[in-house]
Amino acid sequence: MKDRLTDALAASRADFTEIRLERTWTSSVSFRGRRLESVTASEDQGGFVRVLNRGCGWGVAAFTTLDQLRPMVGRADELSRALRLERPIRLADVAPQQADVLLDLDGDVRGVPLAEKKRLLEAYNAEMLAVDARVVDTLASYHDEVTEYWYVNSEGTLLHELRPEVTLSGSAVARRDGVIEKGLESVGLRRGWASVQDQAAGFRAAAERAVALLDAPRVKGGTYPVVLDPELAGVFIHEAFGHLSEADFIFENPQAREMMTLGRRFGKPVLNAGDNGAAAGLRGTLPFDDEGTPTQDTVLIREGVLVGRLHSRETAAAMGERPTGNARATSFRHPPIVRMTNTYIGNGRGSFADLIKDIKLGVYACSAFGGQTLLENFSFTAAYGHMIRDGQVAELVKDVVIAGNLSQTLDRIDHIAGDFRWNQMGGGCGKGGQFPLAVTEGAPHVRIEQALVGGDVSPTPAA
Amino acid sequence: MIERLLEQARRRGAGADALWRRAERTSVAFEWGRLKTAGVTEEAGVNLRVVSAGRVGVAGSTAVDVPPDELVTRALAAAELGETLALALPPPTPFLQVPTHFDRAATASLDTLIGIGRQLAEGLAREGCQVNVTVEREVAETRVANTAGADAAYPSTGIAVSAELWRVSGDDVLALGDSLEGADLPGPAELARLVQSITGRLDLALTVVTPPDGALPVVFTPAGLSAVLLPVTQALSGKAVLQGISPLAGRLGDQVFDATFSVTDDPLAAGRSASRPVDDECVPSRTTPLVQRGVVERFIYDLETAARAGAASTGNGQRGIFSKPVVGYTNMVIGERGKGNGERDETLGGGLLRDIADGLLVDELIGVGQGNVSGGGFSHPVALAYRIERGQITGRVKDAAIAGNSYDLLKRIGGFGNDRRWYGSRSTPSLLLEGVSVARR
Repeated sequence: MKDRLTDALAASRADFTEIRLERTWTSSVSFRGRRLESVTASEDQGGFVRVLNRGCGWGVAAFTTLDQLRPMVGRADELSRALRLERPIRLADVAPQQADVLLDLDGDVRGVPLAEKKRLLEAYNAEMLAVDARVVDTLASYHDEVTEYWYVNSEGTLLHELRPEVTLSGSAVARRDGVIEKGLESVGLRRGWASVQDQAAGFRAAAERAVALLDAPRVKGGTYPVVLDPELAGVFIHEAFGHLSEADFIFENPQAREMMTLGRRFGKPVLNAGDNGAAAGLRGTLPFDDEGTPTQDTVLIREGVLVGRLHSRETAAAMGERPTGNARATSFRHPPIVRMTNTYIGNGRGSFADLIKDIKLGVYACSAFGGQTLLENFSFTAAYGHMIRDGQVAELVKDVVIAGNLSQTLDRIDHIAGDFRWNQMGGGCGKGGQFPLAVTEGAPHVRIEQALVGGDVSPTPAA
Repeated sequence: MIERLLEQARRRGAGADALWRRAERTSVAFEWGRLKTAGVTEEAGVNLRVVSAGRVGVAGSTAVDVPPDELVTRALAAAELGETLALALPPPTPFLQVPTHFDRAATASLDTLIGIGRQLAEGLAREGCQVNVTVEREVAETRVANTAGADAAYPSTGIAVSAELWRVSGDDVLALGDSLEGADLPGPAELARLVQSITGRLDLALTVVTPPDGALPVVFTPAGLSAVLLPVTQALSGKAVLQGISPLAGRLGDQVFDATFSVTDDPLAAGRSASRPVDDECVPSRTTPLVQRGVVERFIYDLETAARAGAASTGNGQRGIFSKPVVGYTNMVIGERGKGNGERDETLGGGLLRDIADGLLVDELIGVGQGNVSGGGFSHPVALAYRIERGQITGRVKDAAIAGNSYDLLKRIGGFGNDRRWYGSRSTPSLLLEGVSVARR
């Protein structure tokens, strides 16, 4: 394979050429209710070529027929030459890398019979169904993959990697009369078969939560002091600030550059945030990004002040900064674009109890069903919440939706606890048609002095 | 390829169906006003499903050189673990012709695609604004066949054009976009309309006004309707009915919505990229009314959900290369029986603003699809919404949220705009809904 790649590179007429080849073995199993929904094993393979010529645009080609590699390099070159640019595209320098990285497969999933994967998941699904008769529907999923990955470019970089990934997720629906509630738990790891054993507790927790929410009142909409649990705080920093830190949004947009000027204050001195693609043992971790740049810990906010952003080689060159190893692609079907890896809010001080002790009436928002940001505005749906009354965690509440303006909300973070943890969830991040990308988020408990909590949807039963 | 797979499966005592698809996509992208990337994607793959001893197994591959024997073995191995299912593979049936392949689109040169992008990038250029445009053309061949003798093949083309305009002013970020999707190349008039759709909304958005507050009339544009329609389209899927999470289960024949409301799945709509003569499981395409005059008529099914529900497939089977077929909509048409048949009105809201003293026009919401959709309740901050006062748009509102329940709101529809259009694979006019809760924050 190495020879085919270097031959194709040598045959390229372009000033800059890069090639990625991937072969992915996947298997997945899912159960819905008592029924097996699907069990599949598949193999996907393909390549991606991207070339750049002086004064021209990017030419790219993606393909599933690997013996077309050399002609595809030629097509990408023609496409590049068809685009004439007045301002040239430049790439920031990255020292050529050579590496053969076999990540710890942790029990290679390819050696485990599909029947055994089915048995494991069936048992986890049964855990959810056994929780309560009101659990009317479940969805339990298991997914694994191993990707053999090659990357070469005309500057001398040659990478070969074997990357594992495994995810489990359990979602339970509980129903009582017209009320339908959902509980969701998932885990996503850059590991293998050994890591998905003994995960029954998470599945039970999803079902127990769905049942408990049946009797929980809706949170009363209004403005409260809000404490985010580490999971929701992680989703918050990813959605609300991480995406703004991706330099492809700002590098050719003067107004956006101004908004994201380094040195601008975004929060109180308690706030630190960053993105660390090199953190050990996480799902968003890889030794190199998809341009062959080594990953690193990039601080974005230090003591409340904007100090960094996430780059590809192109955005780094355009802004006169250094590449950060954040050019990532979900597969050979896509070009690398600026993405997050493992995004975090840095650790603070004290305990969760310290954070809530002087809140008379507030909301403790936990876990996330989802979140969306449209740059300055965001909305997050917590999976559940509790009221905080007189400094104590009180009753369970549901429909906790937190919405707000980014810079106001960041500025209202006034306390951060010292209980940081990474949240290795399933799912992934979507951007520019590329989904799901393996990322991780991490945070301690975070307190926002005032935030708008919605959720007072009219309580009429359906239909 | 498909014949050999089916033959192998038959020889090993299994029923089978298979889908083979080859697609070539060509795309150009203008980033921040500059033509920067041109790309091509070539993809081919096969998806095989076998039914052996009453159990179903699926295998797929993008490797062109995968021996048929190996793929059949993999599918049979999956079937050994698979769920029992009385899957009835459809026999050969004549299907209706629908044009899916347009020469003009198939043969358009790179320069033609660049020209489309340039027309949009130039039409949208504004001081202080940045423009992203992508133009993508797909040329594909699909073949689907089964061991019951059904066999269909058709070529197709697809064009997707999207444009977005960004305006950052201080901490105010405004993003406005629109897209065109179809099987044929868009003409100059369609491109001009796309430019007008974006710049028209931009001009009205430059003034920021205080949001209204309370239970108000709200006009949802074809794009803004997503949050309201999502629970309903989810509930009309045979899959949701089987799962016991559809509030419409058991309501066939009941008047659940306003008598002017209808929903139709239409795989035979002319010139649409989701149109096709046959679905991905060899079931001939037909137009399926799901809700008519507010009455629930039908749910959509693929072969599996139909078998489990004791119903017939509605031709809504969709499959990719790697997983089993699933049930999905093709083109969805939201009807307007008896109302809104006035003269075409391209203004925002399609003429529905006239009688509104104080209200909101919603074009985009944040977080649609998050949380618990099935009950019909929704609560979202607005991404792009305008205040309506005395029949006119007075400006854009920020920091507002709307909430309601789709099933309640669609029981009484205040009106349909005269601005029907395709938004992705959905055709709808704007809708006026009364009593939507609007909150300032």
